[in-house]
Amino acid sequence: MQTIPMLTILIFLPAAGVMGLLCLRKDDHEWIRRFAFVVSLLELMASVWFLLAGVPLGSNGYKLEEFHQWISLGPHLDAPQTWINYHLGVDGISMFLVILTAFLTVVSILCSWKSIDKRVKEFFIMILLLEVGVVGVFLSLDLFLFFLFWEVMLIPMYFLIGIWGHDRRIYATIKFVLYTMSGSILMLIGILWLYNATGTFDLPSIQLALQHGGLVLPRSTETLLFLAFFVAFAIKVPLFPFHTWLPDAHVEAPTAGSVILAGVLLKMGTYGMIRFCLPLFPDAAKRFATPIAVLAIIGIIYGALVALVQPNLKKLVAYSSVSHLGFVVLGIFAFQTVSMQGAVFQMLAHGISTGGLFLLVGMLYDRRHTFEMSQFGGLCAPMPQLAAFFLFVALSSMGLPMLNGFVGEFLILLGTYQVHWNWASWAATGVILSACYLLWSYQKVFYGDITVEKNRTLPDISTRERAILVTMAVITLWMGIGSTFFTDRTASASQAVIDQMQRPQHAEEAIVPAPAKPSQPAPGRPANATGSAIAPIASAAPRPNSLERLGTR
Amino acid sequence: MSAFPNSADLLHVLPELIWCVFGALLMLLQPLTQSRRFLTIVAVMGAILGVCGNFYSVHNTGTAFSGLIAADRFSIFFSHLIGLIAIMVILGANSYLERERLADAEFYALVLFATAGMGVLASAQELLTAFIGLEMSSISSYILAGYRRDVLKSGESSMKYFLLGSFATAFFLYGIALVYGATGTTNLLRMDVTAGAESTSILLKLGLALILIGLGFKVAAAPFQIWTPDVYEGAPTPVTALFSAGPKAATFALLLRIFADVHAATQFWFYAFWILAALTMFAGNLGALLQTNVKRMLAYSSIAHAGYILVAFAAVTKLSADTNIGAGPAYAAVAFYLLSYALVKVGAFTIVSQFGGAGEKHLSLDDYAGLGERQPFVAAALSLFLLSLLGLPITAGFFGKFYVFKAAVDAHLIWLAVLLAANSIIGAYYYIRLIVIMYMRDPIPEVAATTPIRFPVVVNVVLAIAVIGTLWLGILPNYALNYLLKPGLINDSQSQITQMK
Amino acid sequence: MPILDHLWIIPLLPLLGSAINGLLGGKWPHNIVNSVALGATGLSFACALEAVREFVSEPNHQALVHRHFFDWISAGTFTAGFDLQMDQLTVVMLLVVTGVGFLIHIYSTGYMAHEGGYYRFFSYLNLFMFFMLILVLAANYVLLFVGWEGVGLCSYLLIGFYFLKKSAADAGKKAFIVNRIGDFGFMLGMFLLFRAFGSLDFTTVFQKAADPSWAHEPWGQFGTMTVACLLLFMGATGKSAQLPLYVWLPDAMEGPTPVSALIHAATMVTAGVYVVARSHILFVHSETAMVVVAVVGCATAFFAATIGLVQTDIKKVLAYSTVSQLGYMFLACGVGVFSAGIFHLMTHAFFKALLFLAAGSVIHAMGGEQDMRHMGGLSKKIKYTYWTMLMATLAISGAPLFAGFFSKDQILLGAYTIEGGKPLYAIGLLTALLTAFYMFRLIFLTFHGQQRYDEHHVHVHESPRSMLGPLVILAVLSIFGGWLALPAFWGGPDYFANFLAPVFSGGEASAAAAASEAAAHSLELPLAGVAVFTALLGFAVAFWLYIRQPGKPEAIAKSVGGLYTTLLNKYYVDELYAAVIVKPLLWLSTEVLWKIVDVAGIDGTVNGIAHGTTSLGDTVRHTQSGNTRSYAVWVVIGALVILAVIFLWPYWSAARPVAGMVR
Repeated sequence: MQTIPMLTILIFLPAAGVMGLLCLRKDDHEWIRRFAFVVSLLELMASVWFLLAGVPLGSNGYKLEEFHQWISLGPHLDAPQTWINYHLGVDGISMFLVILTAFLTVVSILCSWKSIDKRVKEFFIMILLLEVGVVGVFLSLDLFLFFLFWEVMLIPMYFLIGIWGHDRRIYATIKFVLYTMSGSILMLIGILWLYNATGTFDLPSIQLALQHGGLVLPRSTETLLFLAFFVAFAIKVPLFPFHTWLPDAHVEAPTAGSVILAGVLLKMGTYGMIRFCLPLFPDAAKRFATPIAVLAIIGIIYGALVALVQPNLKKLVAYSSVSHLGFVVLGIFAFQTVSMQGAVFQMLAHGISTGGLFLLVGMLYDRRHTFEMSQFGGLCAPMPQLAAFFLFVALSSMGLPMLNGFVGEFLILLGTYQVHWNWASWAATGVILSACYLLWSYQKVFYGDITVEKNRTLPDISTRERAILVTMAVITLWMGIGSTFFTDRTASASQAVIDQMQRPQHAEEAIVPAPAKPSQPAPGRPANATGSAIAPIASAAPRPNSLERLGTR
Repeated sequence: MSAFPNSADLLHVLPELIWCVFGALLMLLQPLTQSRRFLTIVAVMGAILGVCGNFYSVHNTGTAFSGLIAADRFSIFFSHLIGLIAIMVILGANSYLERERLADAEFYALVLFATAGMGVLASAQELLTAFIGLEMSSISSYILAGYRRDVLKSGESSMKYFLLGSFATAFFLYGIALVYGATGTTNLLRMDVTAGAESTSILLKLGLALILIGLGFKVAAAPFQIWTPDVYEGAPTPVTALFSAGPKAATFALLLRIFADVHAATQFWFYAFWILAALTMFAGNLGALLQTNVKRMLAYSSIAHAGYILVAFAAVTKLSADTNIGAGPAYAAVAFYLLSYALVKVGAFTIVSQFGGAGEKHLSLDDYAGLGERQPFVAAALSLFLLSLLGLPITAGFFGKFYVFKAAVDAHLIWLAVLLAANSIIGAYYYIRLIVIMYMRDPIPEVAATTPIRFPVVVNVVLAIAVIGTLWLGILPNYALNYLLKPGLINDSQSQITQMK
Repeated sequence: MPILDHLWIIPLLPLLGSAINGLLGGKWPHNIVNSVALGATGLSFACALEAVREFVSEPNHQALVHRHFFDWISAGTFTAGFDLQMDQLTVVMLLVVTGVGFLIHIYSTGYMAHEGGYYRFFSYLNLFMFFMLILVLAANYVLLFVGWEGVGLCSYLLIGFYFLKKSAADAGKKAFIVNRIGDFGFMLGMFLLFRAFGSLDFTTVFQKAADPSWAHEPWGQFGTMTVACLLLFMGATGKSAQLPLYVWLPDAMEGPTPVSALIHAATMVTAGVYVVARSHILFVHSETAMVVVAVVGCATAFFAATIGLVQTDIKKVLAYSTVSQLGYMFLACGVGVFSAGIFHLMTHAFFKALLFLAAGSVIHAMGGEQDMRHMGGLSKKIKYTYWTMLMATLAISGAPLFAGFFSKDQILLGAYTIEGGKPLYAIGLLTALLTAFYMFRLIFLTFHGQQRYDEHHVHVHESPRSMLGPLVILAVLSIFGGWLALPAFWGGPDYFANFLAPVFSGGEASAAAAASEAAAHSLELPLAGVAVFTALLGFAVAFWLYIRQPGKPEAIAKSVGGLYTTLLNKYYVDELYAAVIVKPLLWLSTEVLWKIVDVAGIDGTVNGIAHGTTSLGDTVRHTQSGNTRSYAVWVVIGALVILAVIFLWPYWSAARPVAGMVR
């Protein structure tokens, strides 16, 4: 039992920051900014410090777990008392996502330093609240807790877009909320179904029970549950054809919003797939792999093609995200260690590079208050540095080797190719197209003669902006060259996901995943082949595990 | 059993007694004093004392008046809830009455009488007693609805409420009669015993059906919701607050009790509740979707929420037959939902009544434009209420909805759950729209011109109660929940049943 | 410390140079920028020389030197290290790249002296050197791909160096994207190789491939090897501007001339040839692949040459000639004489670089004029340029004893001796004729005849030493560079081939090459004779047309108008691509995908649902007539509904026992 509840600190540090902000005077903008910045910076340092130390290299399973019984739900099945648990934990995958979140929050606070001048206080409160929600999502190991944070995250994002967004912000924000909710509520039903079957919300317990036959879902049930979860995540990712909220949300959101939205929120979808869809419903996942992969590939090509013809720079970047996330989904549903690793890496890489792109687009917007490429052109002359950074980020986003974009894409395609050469081949066309739309837009914006007079005198990047961009550039390079630093740490977690997909009939091959403190399979009712609804296991899985988990610390 | 009530019996109905006494007292006081403040204080005192009156029952639960009244934890919970509603309504009404120049003594008296009636309704274990409670609350409600005599709408609302209300009451009475015919008793507990397992007699069924219809009217379940919007809109806003929270809570309490005691009902009612729930949800949400009048919108939303609660009922009808889960959690779900819902609704309507301005002119959504800028705290509170109604986390509404979902899924009513989901989405739209208007629109000229409305302290107290309660239940629902989940919520002295056999 | 153990130094130096210049050079005077850039390149050239010395002086210098520095990518079973290797093939490439690169750097200091963005130029140029060195030193396909993409990037940057010119920007973009298309194939090739061999390290792959268990795949059989090779070759066609992906190279001439010389003539464009040669062990397993390579190479050689006949832009002529020469190299690989291909690669690097630099010097002298129709009679004014360029021309058109003579001769020999290779040989020979023709056409138009420019506007002047120096050195190389193979004529050893033998032994041992070896010596001289004759023929025609009767070309052009315009417009290939691929794609994306699928389709559905709901809400709202009687009716109807439900709906719990209620 560790002494400091590190993960709790990570989740609620920003919340504390919000309290602090509330105490500040409304019009004291400078201090509000500084304070928010400091808080986010602390959060970043804490996340790096805690997590890198907390998840040692090659370690298996969840670390830094925290487990408290939170809300009693009365008796269920043959368990006298069941609980909603406050159960946190981190592994190689979530670790980096949390760090990414913390980092991008710092970035987004810095990048809205000047550009946000109305309702400054509320703005930074929202940003920090958003961080609470997102970090919570990545650290929750209790389905209910996960869902709770998942919903919490909606509210600040909704305000961010709705209040500080651009012209069509209200349409965009309502669309965003309704889209996401329609997915997540279905997921809630799925979660409750699982609870009803197992008597617990505890992810590791449920996973364990499912893996070792303590709980057997009949084919149809598994399918429905899988879809309930998958659709929610697919909307978030967003996977074609659920993507149409994204362009609107991105274009209308303020820069900070876009950065976090693209950088982190989309990853919540893919993270959910990795964490829930595959381990919990592997057979359904395998059944649906092909259609999903097809959708992913459509997304890759489709997103790229539509990006190709966008007159609006920000929309272009938004569609490019659709394309890139398609790669991630593809990598996940190839069920290959290599591609899974690639997917995880791509999630991080995309967070940095696309975050960077939105940042730069935002900087252009701050100067010209438009996203229309026709309004730009020849900007290389007035702002060479910004142009240089833009090119750099664009290159990383189109997957130039030695930059972060390459490793992820390459691993995904490589891994996918080993099992489905045709999937990989189709997806690889995205590599060509990404070059097309990025270079075309780059040329339209930065090359050629200056067409609009007022562009002639635009100021180049300020020191603050340079600081942000340089940091991102360094990280981009680091991820591109020192990719093993990341892949080594995500390796065991990704492998675990693949292993957790093993089912009883070949359980002996499956290494027992780490959260299973009782290393022997959870005893449960034998699998009833006819599968009348579900075989309750409340007695077996949830509380003994939980208690043992507590005991062993 | 003796015909004369002994002190224990009286002590068991102490809250109701206190409320009635204070009601009467207020009427007597009115000629003597003009001080609104004084009357308000008396009224609040009455309400509070009434709540305190539960102390006896808390310590020795049981039944009173030879089983007419049940003083078990269930009824205690509800009499607390109803008392709380009364307190909040009275506090909130004070400044409203002052503004509208309405006599307040009668108002408070009527509120207290209504409260008493609801108390009886919630704790009645015998149908005629229930009927008395129903009438007590209803008649006061009719008058309250028309309390703004000079306003046409108000009178109309009162009239409608009265006509349709008595219509429904008739159903209820017929139902009682038939049930009596079928079982030879009006006592819920005995009824089940006498009806027994072979409780498939047409008569009983018809009776229960009619009772359901009667009560369905009270809780504004579609297709009996039809009166709600007009009445809610026409009635003085504090009254609307009372309507939306109080009678619902009490009536649902009675329904639950009927379930708990009359197993036959659970068999008959499943499909009825399924339909009612579905219809009500859609009627409420779709109706609210395009409302431009806040009061009306909230009226519809309260219909929708009745629908959500009915989902839980549908689950109850199934779960009570399911031995290994049991209906306990479902009961808890309903009770908890009513609690969270009452807090929010009263809070919201209080704000509306404040913003209505003299003669309740400012009720359109546009009047709320730019509120986030002009009155951040009020706007924040209202948003919190709306989010709770919408069922987003860290609000009571989230858990309320969550438990309802849970009940539905436990009962394998997946399709009903999906309908519920769909409705939450529709609901999200209009709740969010109001928030959008408050935060993302600039105030309309004439509102912008006026100075922000100052909220009197008492109103702020009401809001504080609502906000804190909402957050508290939203973060730590345990306290309320454990109370509701502890076995023996209703008829903890199960022995009664056996002993009566 | 032995450089051989620290190969990373060689590429690192230019990278440093690039970084320093790129980050700080903006404010520096030219000479500092020069010293950084030249220092970096020169040092790395020196290191390369030292490394080579160490390599060959090793007792068993057959062995390839392999150095692992750090793990770059690793996931599951896949690992790609930052590994560098050195073998004979690498040696050749290394020396060519660093040597020629260094010379061109020197040249550039003169050529770019008056251009803006001086530091930027050298930063890019150094960066290019870095990636090119990675490419040739890489010990696995992934790292090679790094260089492969990197050089593409640099060419993008350098072609678009004058980014204010739209044409330049377009050209750069075009180059990158077309290359990407090739890379698409290259990546798939890698994936397939990994699937087949479980690794992408050259040593592992080639060992497993050399294993006899890999059957030789005859013509028409598309086994792993064939497919993999074809995919790799697809990459090569992109990088080395072969049919059908050659279109970017002519446009690439928008870049500054030194860039054209370094990237688009000497080094980068030969990367494709290098890859094919490097993977020869794979290629020789697949007849199909070999044939495809040979045919594509041969076709490209001829095709490009024909276009070169009529171009009037001095650099465009050279560009097409480059494409054509690259075709030769692939032809060589295709017919199995890889060493000949590499040999030609080297000699070509010399004389083509020289040609470009000289052309640059001409342009420099003419004050930016590139159209040969406005030149003429320059030979007197710029002697050095003239003579050096003449040397190069002789070399490329295969005049005896000049570098190009030997290499081209070997290729034609290889083509001739392989069975079924006669047509290839014929076309190759014809191409040689065309080559000689258009090169001398260039010389005559530029340097001879009467001057066709206005003396007052352009005052022609010889270029500075910094530019002439490299010209002279390269001229010397283009003359003597081929003599490594000279002894072979009288049956002596072919030093170059022998040197490369350890690398290609695997490949040349294959049937085709064996045959050629046998037939070689007997055929060498006659074929050489034929080649020389064709070259002379080409020269003669050019001389006759452009010196004897200058009016003639136009006349001919008119007489074969259609053909002429077709050639002038490069067979309209660009237009074809635009019409067949680019436009339809854009149309599809805009009109169908975006406007119809996205906006109308998906969003339409979403909004449609929303509207449906609201309109439903509207109807619901209007059931509120406000009329109490109608309400009463409602209640009655509702009551009936409920009764109906309760009575008519079948019991859900008919069978079930009623259980205890609350627990």
